[in-house]
Parts: sequence; C-alpha cells; structure tokens
Amino acid sequence: MQPPILEIKNLSKAYDHGKNPALVNFSLGLNKGEVLGLLGPNGAGKTTLISILSGTLRDFSGSVVFKGMDLFADRQLRNQIGIVPQEMAFYEELGAMENLMFWGGLYSIPEKELKKRAQDLLALVELSSRAKEPIKKFSGGMKRRLNVAIGLIHQPELLLLDEPTVGIDVQAKVSILDIIRQVGLQGTTVVFTTHQLAEVEQTCSRIAIMDKGIILAQGTLNELIRIVGEKDIVIVSGEFSADRFSDAIKPLIHNDIEILSITDNEAHLAFANSEGIPGMMQHLFQQHVSLADLKIKSPNLEAVFLKLTGRSLRD
Amino acid sequence: MKKIFHIAHLDLKLTIRDKAFFFWFLAFPMFFILIFGNLYKSNPADKKAALLIVNQDRGQWGNYFVKKLESPDIELDVRTSVPEKIIRMLVIPADFSEKLVTQNSQELQLRKNSAANMEAGAVAETKIVQAIARLLSELIIYGNRNIEDFFAAHTPFNDLVSIETRLPKDTVAVVPSGFDHTIPGTIVQFIMMMVLIYGGVMVLEDRKNRVMERILFSATSFGELFNGKLLGRLLMGLMQAAILIIAGKIFFHLNLGNIFLSSLVVLVFTLAMACLSIFVGSVLHKEELIVAVSVLAGNVFAALGGCWWPAEIIPPTFRILAMVSPAYWAMDAFHQVIFFGKGLASILPNLLILLAFTSVFMVLALRFFKIRE
Repeated sequence: MQPPILEIKNLSKAYDHGKNPALVNFSLGLNKGEVLGLLGPNGAGKTTLISILSGTLRDFSGSVVFKGMDLFADRQLRNQIGIVPQEMAFYEELGAMENLMFWGGLYSIPEKELKKRAQDLLALVELSSRAKEPIKKFSGGMKRRLNVAIGLIHQPELLLLDEPTVGIDVQAKVSILDIIRQVGLQGTTVVFTTHQLAEVEQTCSRIAIMDKGIILAQGTLNELIRIVGEKDIVIVSGEFSADRFSDAIKPLIHNDIEILSITDNEAHLAFANSEGIPGMMQHLFQQHVSLADLKIKSPNLEAVFLKLTGRSLRD
Repeated sequence: MKKIFHIAHLDLKLTIRDKAFFFWFLAFPMFFILIFGNLYKSNPADKKAALLIVNQDRGQWGNYFVKKLESPDIELDVRTSVPEKIIRMLVIPADFSEKLVTQNSQELQLRKNSAANMEAGAVAETKIVQAIARLLSELIIYGNRNIEDFFAAHTPFNDLVSIETRLPKDTVAVVPSGFDHTIPGTIVQFIMMMVLIYGGVMVLEDRKNRVMERILFSATSFGELFNGKLLGRLLMGLMQAAILIIAGKIFFHLNLGNIFLSSLVVLVFTLAMACLSIFVGSVLHKEELIVAVSVLAGNVFAALGGCWWPAEIIPPTFRILAMVSPAYWAMDAFHQVIFFGKGLASILPNLLILLAFTSVFMVLALRFFKIRE
C-alpha cells in the first residue's frame, strides 16, 4: 500500500488569542488520485485548513506531511501544489491568457510549454474564444473557471480548492464540478471544500464531514449513509413550537422512530419502517399539533450531516 | 531573480495599460513644463550676445575702444544717446579720452535689464573685459611715448595682443534656459507623484484582490515578492523620467549636463520613492486616500524642494525646511550637474542623503508591507 500523498496530523489553530478554536487536533490522510470533498457549514474550519496548507496562515500546531516531507520546510514543495482560493485572485485588467502566462511564469515553466498549457487549460475551462478579453468583462462563472485554471497551470499533484462554486449559477457550478472530476480522472489528488451536499455527492470519491474544527465522519457516500442506517427521513412542518412538538412526539419514540432535529415549525425524524408514518400523523392530530406539510426522503448525505451535527448544513 | 523581474514586469505592464497613463505620464507633466518653463525662460529676443554701446566720448579713444569690442560672438549697436528701452548697454562717458590721456582712472557703466538672457550677458561681459585688457596692453607696449601720436604710430602693435579667456574649473560654463531647470523639476515631481500614486494604489489593490497572497502560494518567497514590487516601482519612475527626458530633448533641447550623473540622480531618487510607495500602499486602506496623500506630498515637496522654482530663491527658513524633502536633494544635485558642470564628488553628499532616505523608507516598507487585509 502506498503512503498517503498528504498527511495532516493534530492540526490546531485558534483565533483571538486562543479564544476561538478553528481547528482542533484535525487529522486527515489523503491518497494519491483521491477526490476528497470537505463538507461543513460556515465556520467549520474549512478555509482555515486551506489557508494553513497554502502557507499563508501561521501560528498553528500539528504537522502536515506532503509526499513524506514537511510541507513547510521546503518552499519548492509548493510547486507541486495548486491552490484555488475562494476569492477571485487574479488581475482583472488582463486577459485570461495573460493571467495564465503570469501565474505560470511564477513556476519557471519554459515559455513555449507554458503557452501550450495555457491554451489547453483555456480549452478545458471553455474560455478559448475569450482568451484575450479583459477579465473584468467576464461573468462570475467564467471568472470562477479561470480561477480554477490558474490553480492548474503548473500541473500540480495536489489541488486544493476552497469553495470553488460560491456565488455562481447552476450551469457554471456544473461546469466547475466537471472540471474537478476531469482533473481527478487525470490522476491529480483533489481536496475541495464546500457546504453544498449535492456537489460532494456528485464529484468526490471520499467525503469528510467537518464541523467546529474537527472531522465528524469520513468515507465514501455509501459508508457515510450507513451511519444513519437504512432509514427514511421524514420532514414535517407546520405551526408548532419545538417544545410542543417534542412533547407530543415523545410517546412514539422507540427503536423504529428517531428524532434527528426539532426546531420551531419543522422536525426531522428517521423511520425504520415507513408504515408507521400514518400512525404518527394520527397521533399528532390527536395532540392538536397542526401539520402543514410532510416530506419523505431516502437516506442521503443531508441526513448523515443532520445526524452528525444536529443541524441543517445551511444553518 | 527571474521571478522578481516577472513580478516587476507585470506592474509596469498594468501601469502602461491604465487608461489615464498617457495623461499622467506625458500630457500633464508636459503642461507643467510649458507653464513653468515659460515663466522662468529668459527673453527669447536676447539669445545673441547683443550689446548696445552709447558712446558719449568727445575724443577718439571711445571709438577705438568700440573697435576693440568687435568680435563675431557679439552684436554691437553703437549710438550716442540712451534709448528708452534697453536689454544690455555699455555707456562710454564723455570724458573717456580725456581721462585716458591724463592717465586718470575712469568708470564704464554696464546696465542690464533683469529679464536679459544670462548666457548672452556672460559673453558680452567677457568681451568687455577682453577689450579693456587689449586696450591696456597696447598702451603698455606703446610705453612712455607721446600719447597724442598713438593713432599714427600704433599700427605695428594694433591687434598684436589677443586675450584668451580661460574659465576656472568651477566657473559656470553653461547658463541653461528656463526649461533646463523646469524639466528636471517636473521629472522629480512626477516621479514622486506617479510612483506614489500608481505604486501605492497597486499595492492596495493587489492586497485587496489577494493576488499577492496567491503569488506566495507558489514557491515565490516573501523577499522575491517584495523585491519584485520594489523593482516594478523603480521601473515606473525610470519610465516617467525617460518619457520626460526624451520629450524635453525633442521639444525643448533639454541640457542635462553629464547624462551619467543626471541618470544616477534619477535612479537614486526613484529608488527612495519606490520604497515610500510600498509603505504608503501598505498603511493606507483607500485608493482615494493614497491619491490625496500622494498629490499633497508630491506638490508640497516639489514646491519646497525647488522643482517649481530654484530653491536658491526661497527664504532661508523654508530652505532649511525643504531639506526634509528628498526632492530638494535631487534638485540640488541636478543644479550642480546641469548648471555648474560639477562632477560626482560634488553630488556624492546628495546621493548619500537620498540613499539615507531610501534606507528609512525601505525599513518602513518592509515593516508595514502587507500581503492581505
């Protein structure tokens, strides 16, 4: 078995003189060619992790080993890592081709080779026809695609993307996820952070769910679904308070029904057997709990996240 | 080193691409040159060494002295009465011959208009001194013979004496026109303003757009990034100087004296401004603030430092105050090289003071250089 390409051990980082922990003994191993989706809500510590790996955030404890070497001991190792920040960090006055030539120039790639790579990447991100146009005229989705292309110009072995699909429309999102998949298929190891469940479900070979600076669970999609069991998720909504619903449902709680979360006006329940759903409805009706809607979902990543964190991902 | 040039080249490219580049780097400074150049320009009608001679002498010696003044370098206009308007005038008094014959001392008056061309004036004055020397030499050669017979007997030694003027080492050899002062002044002012504005704003924008942070994602070190930014600003300043020097040469026959020394002054001054621009761009958080501070500092330091008018004419108190401005030391060095034809040894103190400014600004730039907000 090959050693992991990236091994993060006990990484801890806190802000405000230690008052706000962002990462708490965070450990993660990554094998070559894997596409890992790092899923977590805002404030989970995803961007802090990427900032540490990119070398721009200091004062942390723990270690990061890349290809058997301390990542921070030798700057030259950075030539093998591509980082796509959440911000559109490039020169908007320049064209896409000029940008790629500038960023590629930082990696001492011979000009002829660099030009070829830039053209190939522009084709990959579907910007060839607008290669010379100033970026400031691009749409948000086009800018995001270029942002990814810049991270790939030096053909890194490891690509880190920090929320690469933030703030763009569905079509652009699909395009970027496609690019990530293609890069993964070409053998590049990819880590990308997101709080979009659908993105990791569609794109990643492995998923890690993190919150409050730690990894709650990791594995393939199927492995994670097993955490919640083969239960249906029932989402009921109506005009009720969390306490009122909790009191009303309490007599029904047994092995077949599990409360995932209850908030005012909405509750998530897991049913081992969906035949119990009409009975629950009748019981709540008798308890004068007013229900407006009921949805039944098959086990998915959302349910896993809900179960692990006790809250919805977009909270 | 390649990465430093790569980063610097991009900043220079972005500067040139700016839509206001042509205005700020050429049109606006040319406007300054035209305004101040014409304000400090001598009377163009007096470019030749013209000398009006009012010969009031009652004897022959006045005319003879006028003949001694004749030379291809000077245009003489001999009259007997004083006209209303004069540029430069030599008055030969009525008793000139009489005093000469009786061997009494006498006085010649040279009157000048304040707007008269200094260079032409220097030529005229030299010719007057030469004529006096030649006349006296002839009288010495003539000896103790009867002075009344001089004009009959002087032919053998008429024009025997020639006078050659050799200027001492540090004498003003060239008196430049107003543009020769104004163009270096505008170069200094606009290096200061453009490097501070463009250099400072780009540091701010790069920081806000997080491109400097992204540069450091690569194997590029902090030192390479800093030096790249520094070199970029140095090249901006040198480009500004080159544009104005070329325009000055083409349109105003600019005289920069020893071009190597003048270039050295530009280089050292620009280096100081390059460091200052990184500091300004790092500590100020708004583009408008950087522009305001740069324009204010640029104009105040330019006025104090002698970019608009020679620092020699400002009151002593302000002149002492002006020494806090790097522009003062750059302009003083330019004056030494252009106006007084001095060498490296004379401007070395100025260069060392500018390097001291550079060191202080460099420390500040390194201390406050921020790659992200």
